[in-house]
Amino acid sequence: MKHLKTWLAAAALAALATGAHADVTIGVSVPLTGPTSALGIPSKNGISLWPSTIAGEKLNVIVLDDATDPTVGVKNARRFVTEDKVDLIVGSAATPIAIAMSDVAAEAQTVQLALSPIPLPEGKGAWTFRLPQSTAVMSIPIVEHWKKTGVKTFGFVGYADAYGEAWLKDITALATAAGIKSVGVERFARADTSITGQALKLVGANPDAILIAASGSGAAMPHKGLVERGYPKGKIYQTHGAATLDLIRVGGKDVEGSFVSSGPALVAPKLPDSNPSKALGVRFIEQYEKAFGPKSANQFGAHAFDAAIVLEKIIPMALKKARPGTKEFRAALKEALETAGRIPVSQGVLNYTATDHFGFTPDTGVLLKVTNGDWEVVK
Amino acid sequence: MTSSRWFLLAFAAALALLPQLPVPEFWVTQLNYIGLYALVVIGLVLLTGIAGLTSFGQAAFVGIGAYSSAWLTLNLGLSPWLAVFGGLALTALAALLLGWITLRMSGHYLPLATIAWCLSLYYLFGNLEALGRYDGLLGIAPLSVFGLPLNTGRSFFYLLWALVMLAALAATQLLDSRSGRALRALKGGSTMPEAMGIDTFRAKVTVFVLAALLAGMSGWLFAHFQRSVNPSPFGLKMGIEYLFMAVIGGVGQVWGALAGAAVVKLLEDQLQVLLPRLLGGSGSYEVIVFGVLLVGVLQYARDGLWAAVVARLPRRARRRDWADAAPLPEAARPPHGELVLDVHSVRKEFGGLVAVNDVSFQVRAGEIVGLIGPNGAGKSTTFNLVSGVLPLTRGEVRLRGERIDGLPSRGIARRGVSRTFQHVKMVPEMTVLENVALGAHRRGRRGVLPAMLRLERDEERRLLREAERQLQRVGMADRLDELAGNLALGPQRLMEIARALSADPSLLLLDEPAAGLRHQEKRALAGVLRQLRAEGLSILLVEHDMDLVMDVSDRIVVMEFGTQLMQGTPAEVQASAAVRAAYLGTEH
Amino acid sequence: MDLSIAGILLLDGATSGAVYALLALALVLVFAVTRVIFIPQGEFVAYGALTLAMLQMGKLPGTVWLLAVLAVLATLRDAFAAVRAGQPAGRIARDAARSLAGPAVVALLALWAAPRQLPLVLQSLLALAIVTPLGPLVYRLAYRPLADAPVLVLLIVSVGVHFALTGLGLLFFGAEGFRNPSFWDERFRAGPLVLSGQALIIFLVSAALIVGLGLFFGRTLRGKALRATAVNRLGARLMGISTDGAGRWSMGLAAFIGALSGLLIGPTTTMFYDTGFLIGLKGFVAAIFGGLASYPGAAAGALFVGWLESFGSFWASAYKEVIVFTMILPVLLWRSVTHGQTDDE
Repeated sequence: MKHLKTWLAAAALAALATGAHADVTIGVSVPLTGPTSALGIPSKNGISLWPSTIAGEKLNVIVLDDATDPTVGVKNARRFVTEDKVDLIVGSAATPIAIAMSDVAAEAQTVQLALSPIPLPEGKGAWTFRLPQSTAVMSIPIVEHWKKTGVKTFGFVGYADAYGEAWLKDITALATAAGIKSVGVERFARADTSITGQALKLVGANPDAILIAASGSGAAMPHKGLVERGYPKGKIYQTHGAATLDLIRVGGKDVEGSFVSSGPALVAPKLPDSNPSKALGVRFIEQYEKAFGPKSANQFGAHAFDAAIVLEKIIPMALKKARPGTKEFRAALKEALETAGRIPVSQGVLNYTATDHFGFTPDTGVLLKVTNGDWEVVK
Repeated sequence: MTSSRWFLLAFAAALALLPQLPVPEFWVTQLNYIGLYALVVIGLVLLTGIAGLTSFGQAAFVGIGAYSSAWLTLNLGLSPWLAVFGGLALTALAALLLGWITLRMSGHYLPLATIAWCLSLYYLFGNLEALGRYDGLLGIAPLSVFGLPLNTGRSFFYLLWALVMLAALAATQLLDSRSGRALRALKGGSTMPEAMGIDTFRAKVTVFVLAALLAGMSGWLFAHFQRSVNPSPFGLKMGIEYLFMAVIGGVGQVWGALAGAAVVKLLEDQLQVLLPRLLGGSGSYEVIVFGVLLVGVLQYARDGLWAAVVARLPRRARRRDWADAAPLPEAARPPHGELVLDVHSVRKEFGGLVAVNDVSFQVRAGEIVGLIGPNGAGKSTTFNLVSGVLPLTRGEVRLRGERIDGLPSRGIARRGVSRTFQHVKMVPEMTVLENVALGAHRRGRRGVLPAMLRLERDEERRLLREAERQLQRVGMADRLDELAGNLALGPQRLMEIARALSADPSLLLLDEPAAGLRHQEKRALAGVLRQLRAEGLSILLVEHDMDLVMDVSDRIVVMEFGTQLMQGTPAEVQASAAVRAAYLGTEH
Repeated sequence: MDLSIAGILLLDGATSGAVYALLALALVLVFAVTRVIFIPQGEFVAYGALTLAMLQMGKLPGTVWLLAVLAVLATLRDAFAAVRAGQPAGRIARDAARSLAGPAVVALLALWAAPRQLPLVLQSLLALAIVTPLGPLVYRLAYRPLADAPVLVLLIVSVGVHFALTGLGLLFFGAEGFRNPSFWDERFRAGPLVLSGQALIIFLVSAALIVGLGLFFGRTLRGKALRATAVNRLGARLMGISTDGAGRWSMGLAAFIGALSGLLIGPTTTMFYDTGFLIGLKGFVAAIFGGLASYPGAAAGALFVGWLESFGSFWASAYKEVIVFTMILPVLLWRSVTHGQTDDE
């Protein structure tokens, strides 16, 4: 107990001591544990690829785990703005947490770069900017393909959480506008061992296409479940959360010939040279795989990597107006984001405005097809 | 003013001062969360530490409180001060329903049920459209006092900690009262409290709802502090953490709740920051450390932190303020010789085994009847049949003309029958005086609410006076403030008798009262019994000590193998060859 | 819903039920001998599957490190206790060596074999060999000092162990899931019903375990002796039954069944580091069904839960979890009432 007190005192002092320097201080809160750790850990990996200085200012990055718990996320955010006096908050990668943090960011008038395309009610989110593409933008390549291939009805099976909810809303809206009807909606949990009941019901409704809204290796199980029920692989579509090699690794031959919506980062080498994101994407994949192993690159690492690109654009702009650690600097960062114009990143092209904090242009998404265990871009 | 009162005042003063000092905002936030957790843990201390009902699911009640208040303020525009009543009402309703199902379960089924409904409610929260599913509800208004919104940590701090202190005080005051004694008796099983006239099921539901209300209130505060709610803080993990806080702080101590909440919260936070810095890599370390710590605490410090603190503080004796309290009203004793207990052909079968075989006897007012027989004769079983602990297979038991067989033991207790037990059943953590006062439970009537508000002091003094009187009668008046668990077996038995007497019975059932007593104590006991008989009490006595039985009994009933062998005066029994054969065997 | 759909759902429910039954059996086993409600059983399942997955990828599984560390800790603790008790140094050294020998051999074997991509069967055996000794080690470190504590304290200890093992699981295996290759790729068809060979193996193993464990604990002297340790520890020791040995043995068997279950389940679903908990919880519901005492009862409970899940996910997939966990309550109530009016333990 004696030592514990010493540790506690030391930690308290350390916590107090941070944050009064001229460095640019950035607070990052991502889920490193809990059910969405598959989103948080790659995000943290992406952050570790950030440069150590931008425009001559040292980057002081504080990374905290929010354990997939919005309460912890809010605590982290409060700690960032009061204790560490950060200039900018990054996080979280899980939707409910990022939503909860947005209130704290708005109150403290600090920019939040959310790693999840969170929906916020009207009037809120003045200080929140999303780094990932919105599900609406990611729905576009899928619905376009459906229109092209004459799909008239579709079925949906997705996570019973914020991710699945967002996808259901956006894909239904876009599809209905294109005259495509929804004939079945099923939900499941990542921890489920099978979706036989849901698959039976959905396949029984015989839709022309089925969309699976899941992420990472968790997207493989429903895919295999549908295939087992006899549904043709070529009619199954996955969301961008599943655009990782983990899907192919776990799904095996059952995902061959299926489609996945994705940002451009993962298939950067296959993009045409004219694509503004190609060079950045190639650089991302190179750096990420060098640090974390071959075939490890994924969407979430790319978004975190893109944050650095955005920072490299806006920090110099803000430095012209104020010093780091001041309220003016934080306001200047917000202004810079809204006026910077087009920022090419590995995942597309960002163009934030005062009214649009989602940023990505509608032609950002690409449709990929799983071919021979790798991605192929569908034209 | 006692030292603990001083300490309490100092603590409250420190809390009141804290937000005004230049303490970093971070620590104010920490203390706020500690306060929110402490509210829930106080309820858990009452539920698990005192009443012995382990609950892993308190987090679900926090959720009900938080969501209802959030929904009411967002959708109906109610002020949070009104919404809290809605929230608490809903929490109480849910607690009544869940308690009704859960509290009928015994042993380890109960905590398993709490896990089940905690998970069930968590998934329900996450799936209801009206509650925002997994995104939850946002933009909840802060609480405001006289128009001032409590939207900063410091301003919220006052309200929160005022409520925490009130809750802790109320809980402490509850425990030191008639209802509190009833709750503390629950842990050792329901046989003894029922025999004292306490409705144990009702008591369990009461403490369950109380704990739920505290959790619900914490939820209400949480919703208006964080200003957004979603399902994650109301899941099983948090439920387990609350229990962890209670265990670390000392699950039987109300103030331990605060200590436990503080230690766990601070530790968790520091681990979250420290360990990744020390060890690098992804931060699942604090979960591992938590798990290991939990096991460690249970292995080495099971009574928790606060118990260690309390053990070092001098225990103060209770202030004797009841000397001038009015005596409790006593029921009129039946006239000497009237038939008090009529046991008619009672039979008890356990499957194929006949434990009590059509036994009949009577006890009259002002009479001591002894029930003897070799071991296994069925004496204690007969006792349990008479006092309602076991149901009869056949036969009748009448108390002053009224049939009492088939009544639950507390119904029989309320009709003036009081008993002691073959294996002493008491509450070891309470003092001797408090244990004896437990016997007088049905002679009081002030319940939980007056106890928490300290409005029942008059009745309490009367009850304690009665308890002291009975202790004087059995010769233990000098040991009022000793912990009952520290007594030797002999004084424990005397204490049990004093407790039985506190109930003002007309019939006293004593199950081997002299077992473990020394010779002088037995003589004193015999004197007490004779005195009671002179006052008109009827006594049914099971004993093995022949000297005592033959000395005090007016009549003796002898049983062997469940059957009544003979009845008669001590002289007749001693002369009977059948009795001698039963005890010593026949000659060959 | 027509007959073929009902048939498919019944089969699917039965298949999940067989998985839950494997866990339920181990839980009943541990409870019957040690009175521990072994919540971490699910973690052994996950460890088994994921250790094999790591070996399949040619990496050294983190569980090997855990095995080594736990073995050292347990040996040290026992050695300290022996020194304090004044035992002769030779005996202490011998006991320590014996305690370390098994885990050391397995660890070295794993170190050698991991990069070598041995055939599936050998790798599976290695995974079993790595995970099974974790059972007795967990018993020695976490439960043995509290062997006489009431069931509730042991339950809380189980929760602590579960936290620790889950956190370690994330550390060892990462956040992504794995799917192992199956042992038997055949598929058997009967009309619309499809039974995979893997599922058939699971059924057979479950059935064999139910029968085997039921016979062992019900009919053999050794089995009854082990049950006696749960009823009255002191009495059992006076009869010459080693309660410590009983505890280690039962948890070792539970870890073995858990790891085996993980190997069997691994090919049928994606295993994450935290998959074990939810499967374990449902297996636990099934065990409660059997009153934590009866193996056929636990199996029946597992089928019930499996079917509840199957039909629930067909009818109202979003509320499936709510249905399953709410249905436990009447089962618990029923069980508690029929279990008898035991006052306290």
